[in-house]
Amino acid sequence: MDYPEMHRQIVEDLLDGKFILSRERQFDQIKENEEFYIGFFMASFNHELELTNEFARLVSEDTDENLSRDISIFFAILCYELDKQGKNFLDVLQYSEFSMEEINYLFDNSSWIDLIQSNKQLRDSDTRKRFIFSSMGKRSIIDKVSDERFYFTPAYKVFIDFAKELAQHTLNGQQ
Amino acid sequence: MIKAEPKTILHFVWSYFDVLRELFDVQSQDGLIRKEMLEIILERNKRDIKSQLIEYKILRNTNDDFELRDVYYKLIEFILFEFRPLLPEEIEKFGTSISDLFRNIKEGINGDKAILVERIRGLSSQIKEFTDSVEKNSIRLLNESRELKSNVSRLDYREKIQRASFWIQYYILPLNSILDVNHSESITNKMLNVSEFANQKRLTFTDEGIRQSFEKLYFQLIQANDDLLKQSKLLTNELLPLIERIRTESLIITGWIEFLQTHNKIQPPKLLKSKKDNPYSKRVYLNTKEYFEQFKTDEEAIIADDDQQYETWVFNKSKYKRKLINSLPIDNFFDWCGEQLKDDTNEITNEKVFALTGLLFEDDIEVNSITNSEFLNIKTRTSKISVPILNVKKNGLP
Repeated sequence: MDYPEMHRQIVEDLLDGKFILSRERQFDQIKENEEFYIGFFMASFNHELELTNEFARLVSEDTDENLSRDISIFFAILCYELDKQGKNFLDVLQYSEFSMEEINYLFDNSSWIDLIQSNKQLRDSDTRKRFIFSSMGKRSIIDKVSDERFYFTPAYKVFIDFAKELAQHTLNGQQ
Repeated sequence: MIKAEPKTILHFVWSYFDVLRELFDVQSQDGLIRKEMLEIILERNKRDIKSQLIEYKILRNTNDDFELRDVYYKLIEFILFEFRPLLPEEIEKFGTSISDLFRNIKEGINGDKAILVERIRGLSSQIKEFTDSVEKNSIRLLNESRELKSNVSRLDYREKIQRASFWIQYYILPLNSILDVNHSESITNKMLNVSEFANQKRLTFTDEGIRQSFEKLYFQLIQANDDLLKQSKLLTNELLPLIERIRTESLIITGWIEFLQTHNKIQPPKLLKSKKDNPYSKRVYLNTKEYFEQFKTDEEAIIADDDQQYETWVFNKSKYKRKLINSLPIDNFFDWCGEQLKDDTNEITNEKVFALTGLLFEDDIEVNSITNSEFLNIKTRTSKISVPILNVKKNGLP
């Protein structure tokens, strides 16, 4: 049986929990062989392939809940603080480059400081830096520009969509 | 006097906390617990604990109705982090008591030592209560402001502004004045004066016990000052610009506020667990072995005979050099090469042409090219080579 080009790398990356982004060659291969990969991951690992125009990733019940919760808290506080500064946080997430200095300022002066200090990944500038560049970087949620600078890849949209759905759910519950 | 053991009461609170919480919510809303409401709550929870609630002095009668005793109300309030907003007047009273105690301490500094120690203790307690009240109020106001921002109850814009204006006018601005260090009458400013005095006395007072009391007070004030600064920053950054902040509304921010408030109870988005193993994992030995085995080449190498016949041609340099020297002068070197190869071999190949071209670099011949002349094409087995027309003659001869 012939496998698509870069098959091994595609499987390894996706099983590592990485987002494969549309600018990567593997993404084109997945897109071209969408049916094959949907079937392959479901039959081999019972994982669902999520393929959007911007990224591909695997979703399953075997979820890293702690990491996902920490990343969600990170985005929640970042959006909240950017909004507090009167910025359009969606534009900022999509188009801006961030420095660690800026992130630290927002987090250190946040009114969610009790929550931040009780979170092992976000409690100070060192853990925050490790969390962003290592944990989020490994999964291609951010792209590193330099040791102090980064920007978000379209993977952030998974978390934004989560917030939207949660709000919708809460609002529906209130009605 | 309560007859029950303390642990029995604590166990009771632990066992029936859900009922107590409901009673707390009712009292927070209505100011008391009506006797009908108490019956409904007990019946709904299928708990017949009215007599214990009275016996353990958790509930107190107010006419025919009930209320949670202050100590339990505050305990539940603290555990749930749901504080009642305090009116500025309720906080300002601490300013008066701090001022009075401070004045009495200064005036009676050389008087009775026992009363001096008691007044320092009293001052310390008032400062503690004051900072606690400010913190609790900030938490409550912050929650109110976040609720307005997330607007889960879908208030229209006018109503939102009205609520925000209410909080700002009656709670946020007065709290800001209480904390404003630049205002001479603010409580924070009064505390700074106490701190300065305590610092001086902890170093200079003759009695050691009182020196220690002032020292304790001084360090408490440093901590209190830090805490109040934090609250003041919160007011400036988040609460005072409340109207500005609620002008925009976003579904995403609503979701995030909801998530941050109850993040432990909400399932975050699914994120695949990485399959990478730790060095101490059970599977790491087999996985490592598998990884290295992929680089092993176990495939059999087969050398097959090639049936095709190839001409064996070895360039005999001295033979061709002799032929070249004997043919000099030559008008067209590559033409000569072609004739030689046609005579000696079955086919002309690149390799043979290049081998003969090497003769041009011999010392005893001289090579000249005819400028602007046409190029000559040589066809070999695999290529067409375009070469210039070269004259070759013996070196040194005209």
